[in-house]
Amino acid sequence: MLDELLRAILDLDEGKALELTKRLVESGEDPLKILDCVRAATDEIGKRFERGEYFVADLVMAGEILKGISEIIAPKLRETGKKREVVGKLLIGTVEGDIHDIGKNIVVTMAEAAGFEVVDLGVDVPPERFVEAIKQHNPDIVGLSGLLTLAIDSMKRTVDAINAAGLRDKVKIIIGGGRVDENVKEYTGADAWTNDAATGIRIMLKLVEEKRRGQS
Amino acid sequence: MTKEPIDLWIERHEKDPEAELKEKTERFLRAVQLKVPDRVPVAGVGGDFLCRYTGITWYDMSYDLEKIPGAVFKFVHDFPSDWSIIFAPMLLEGFVFALAFADCPDFSNTIRFLCGPVHDILKDKWSQWPGREIKENMHPQFRGGEFMKPEEYKRLIEDPLQFIHSTILPRACPGLGEPGSPRWNAAWIRVGMTMQRIGAFQGQLYGELVKRGSTAFPITNAYTPADVIGDFLRHPTGAMLDMRRMPSDFKAACDALVEHILKVATAVPPMPPATFFFVPLHLNEMLPPKLYGEFYWPQLKKIIEILVAKGYKGFIFFEGDHLPHVDTILELPKGWGVAWFERPRDFVAVWEKLKGHTTVMGGVPVSLIASGTPEKIDEHIKNLMAKIKPEGGFILSPGVNELPADTPVANVRAYINAALKYGVY
Repeated sequence: MLDELLRAILDLDEGKALELTKRLVESGEDPLKILDCVRAATDEIGKRFERGEYFVADLVMAGEILKGISEIIAPKLRETGKKREVVGKLLIGTVEGDIHDIGKNIVVTMAEAAGFEVVDLGVDVPPERFVEAIKQHNPDIVGLSGLLTLAIDSMKRTVDAINAAGLRDKVKIIIGGGRVDENVKEYTGADAWTNDAATGIRIMLKLVEEKRRGQS
Repeated sequence: MTKEPIDLWIERHEKDPEAELKEKTERFLRAVQLKVPDRVPVAGVGGDFLCRYTGITWYDMSYDLEKIPGAVFKFVHDFPSDWSIIFAPMLLEGFVFALAFADCPDFSNTIRFLCGPVHDILKDKWSQWPGREIKENMHPQFRGGEFMKPEEYKRLIEDPLQFIHSTILPRACPGLGEPGSPRWNAAWIRVGMTMQRIGAFQGQLYGELVKRGSTAFPITNAYTPADVIGDFLRHPTGAMLDMRRMPSDFKAACDALVEHILKVATAVPPMPPATFFFVPLHLNEMLPPKLYGEFYWPQLKKIIEILVAKGYKGFIFFEGDHLPHVDTILELPKGWGVAWFERPRDFVAVWEKLKGHTTVMGGVPVSLIASGTPEKIDEHIKNLMAKIKPEGGFILSPGVNELPADTPVANVRAYINAALKYGVY
């Protein structure tokens, strides 16, 4: 049935995916196995997006399905006291001057599904709040999101502030949004960039791995 | 200091703005007619860069009308272009208001865009303004939101205007109060008075710009039905989910909106040499071809075809990467208008598909102007022109005309210089 669930998620068949999850939980399936299935789905969704087979609307639908599944298994997880393995910690926010959050919200949903612990600072986040939050939460990755062209300046200022606070070596920084690219990555001094949430998740998983290797 | 091409162009504007205006208008119209002009037209820029360069804030731009002309004149003087698309420095997306008054052609287009003073009256939740909800130096921003429940599609389909006017506006605009109440009536009277003031100001501003050699064409407004739902009613996320969860309702609502959008667009009669209908697309790049082909394109195509048949020209902003859907544009009649592409993953591929059929605008990533060097910008435009000329029907432009505040002046000059250097046919 887990295979069937994976297929339903990838077909973006919301009704079927949620129904299967309920049945799996009722039949006593290990909730961690369902979460593994969710994680595998997230990975495949990312690949399909990169191949141009999925679009943002598909990610939005997939995100809803993954959220729905998490809600169904949450009570079971609490009941059994089981905790999933956290792959990394992501601190994310829309940068100062920009209040757009559709892209950021998709990243949050998909990152959680992929196994990240996510701290979401919301929108219009000034550089100093990112700095404080890094000190407080000690994330592996900092995600700077933005839609407007002005976000390019704000991303640079945020990376500069993280540098000035002496925290740059502690985190990997990824910038994301419709108007970022390699030029903007170079300009801001970030480690990576992405135009979409699905690719973003795959990059973040790689960044976490790099970071772990760098520390060991 | 050696004079660069842009300096010589500025001098020509100073010496004989009328001759420049004539030349630029002809150049632009030839590109729109898919013909080869003397040079590739270059589109203007603005945004935060305009504020920084001229020393005014977004608050000034939104609320202090007296400060706008000086800044805009200086900017347009120092950064000349063939089409300075700064037709709306102080305006923000507000098509829902035009739609709410679609049966009033005498003013439906007047309130198509939101401005700060009108926002203060309506207190609409769709937008946020500098010195109000956001800081004075922040760009006014359209945020949208969810103002309609999924179960309300039936009401929208039954009578879109009535539903938007009497149900959505009161929900999204607390400043209006109850429909029919003194507060409601007073708010609309105030909006009318404000729009008269803003309209007179704009008329004068554009008149002055034309005297300085800036081109201006009459513009009317249309919208994609699915974007009306995404931007103003259900939030883009809600709209994308509704397409899957309640496809027949969503489609019926899109179909029902078409005639009302056309009423808004045709309220401005087509005038020679060209009246453009402006449509900014929002959900386009987010949709897979299947959803695009069912819930987005059929209604948009119908709107474009009807307006083109009536004598208008399209001016459509294809947000994001429109490459996956670009073939559908070929279904439109040849010469239908200008397609402005924000950031297709392969701009030249878009051009190759559409050349000779559609006037294509774009080609320069905003990020390159914002964070590149003059040399890189020069090289990019040189290479692009080599691939695109000698065909006509092309307008050089950044993906959006808004540049970040920290954009180096030398980069913006490099963009215009390169157009003047490499754009000559």
